[in-house]
Amino acid sequence: MKRLLPFIIILVVLGVALSSAWYLTRSIPAAQNPPGNQPPASPGSQPSPAQSQQPVLTGVPGAEPAHTAGPATAPVKLEEFGDFECPPCGMFHPILKQMQEEFGDKLQVTFREFPLVPTHQHALAAASAAEAAGLQGKFWEMHHMIYDHQKDWAKEFDVRPIFEGYAKQLEVDVERYKRDVDSDAVARRIMQDGNRGHSLGVKGTPTVFLNGREVPFEDLPAEKLRVVIQNELRTAGK
Amino acid sequence: MKKFYIGAALLSLLGLADALYLTIEHVTGQTVRCTILSGCSEVLSSQYAVVGGIPLAAVGAAAYFTVFSLAILALFGYRFAGKILTPLVVAMFFVSVWLFYLQAFVIRQFCQYCLISAAITTCLLSLVIIRRFL
Repeated sequence: MKRLLPFIIILVVLGVALSSAWYLTRSIPAAQNPPGNQPPASPGSQPSPAQSQQPVLTGVPGAEPAHTAGPATAPVKLEEFGDFECPPCGMFHPILKQMQEEFGDKLQVTFREFPLVPTHQHALAAASAAEAAGLQGKFWEMHHMIYDHQKDWAKEFDVRPIFEGYAKQLEVDVERYKRDVDSDAVARRIMQDGNRGHSLGVKGTPTVFLNGREVPFEDLPAEKLRVVIQNELRTAGK
Repeated sequence: MKKFYIGAALLSLLGLADALYLTIEHVTGQTVRCTILSGCSEVLSSQYAVVGGIPLAAVGAAAYFTVFSLAILALFGYRFAGKILTPLVVAMFFVSVWLFYLQAFVIRQFCQYCLISAAITTCLLSLVIIRRFL
């Protein structure tokens, strides 16, 4: 029996490890893909029913006026908490643009700053750059520029000259931009958006709310988000 | 000597749990979302997180399980197991150093579960060194 004991212990540990892995893998919602790396659309790729079951959250107000695109009367209002340095946010960016094109006036998009400090070393600088451009009415232009070139600046040591270059390209008053980047007004906006995110329970990015209900992360690939928005439109039309 | 093998077995169990958790995170994509606490999304989605199509975390889990098995066998008097244990732990330590370098200087993000694994491997190496000099 003593000769067999070590092998029994080893087999027991192996069994516990494998069954734990099997149980945890099954208990976690369906395998998730980065939004930009979604599998091809298929009849089985329906969004999870979780979104419609989420409570409607209000939270504390974020920065005002919020950065919105689309009419205030749109039946579906999407609010994204994003971090410019976060790769999944960068992958979600073209998906959101696609949704805006597809749904037009039926969709209003709001972007909230949620820089993940200290996980992302340049996230705060990027948020400040977008907000500083926003003070001159060029938030969305800067927002698109920063996300479109995420891979170009994310690994750089000093990103400020890069963002100043983007500001110049967008015909932003660069001298004013340089002052605004470090201003209290910009810092306050970022903090207010962050506070709103925390009050809504945001823990990571991208986190998306549709008419106040959180969209599960696995529903952010284009073909699933499209269905979620369509469902919301149907509900809003009732 | 028995204390050494018991210590190695317990440490490798911790390492196995950590590596298994990372493997599940990797396979299910849970860490794909960026969070305040963790750079795991960058680390696990990097090109270095997979070796020959197998998640590196799964390779780590297999290594910890092997250390556990060898420590238990050595504890029960299987001498060959003790002889294999030392070079395996040394190899795991050097792999951990390489992965730490990748996180610090190439990916520039730290994943706390990877750091826990590196700490466990360092403790295992310390045990091996202490045993050698006792």
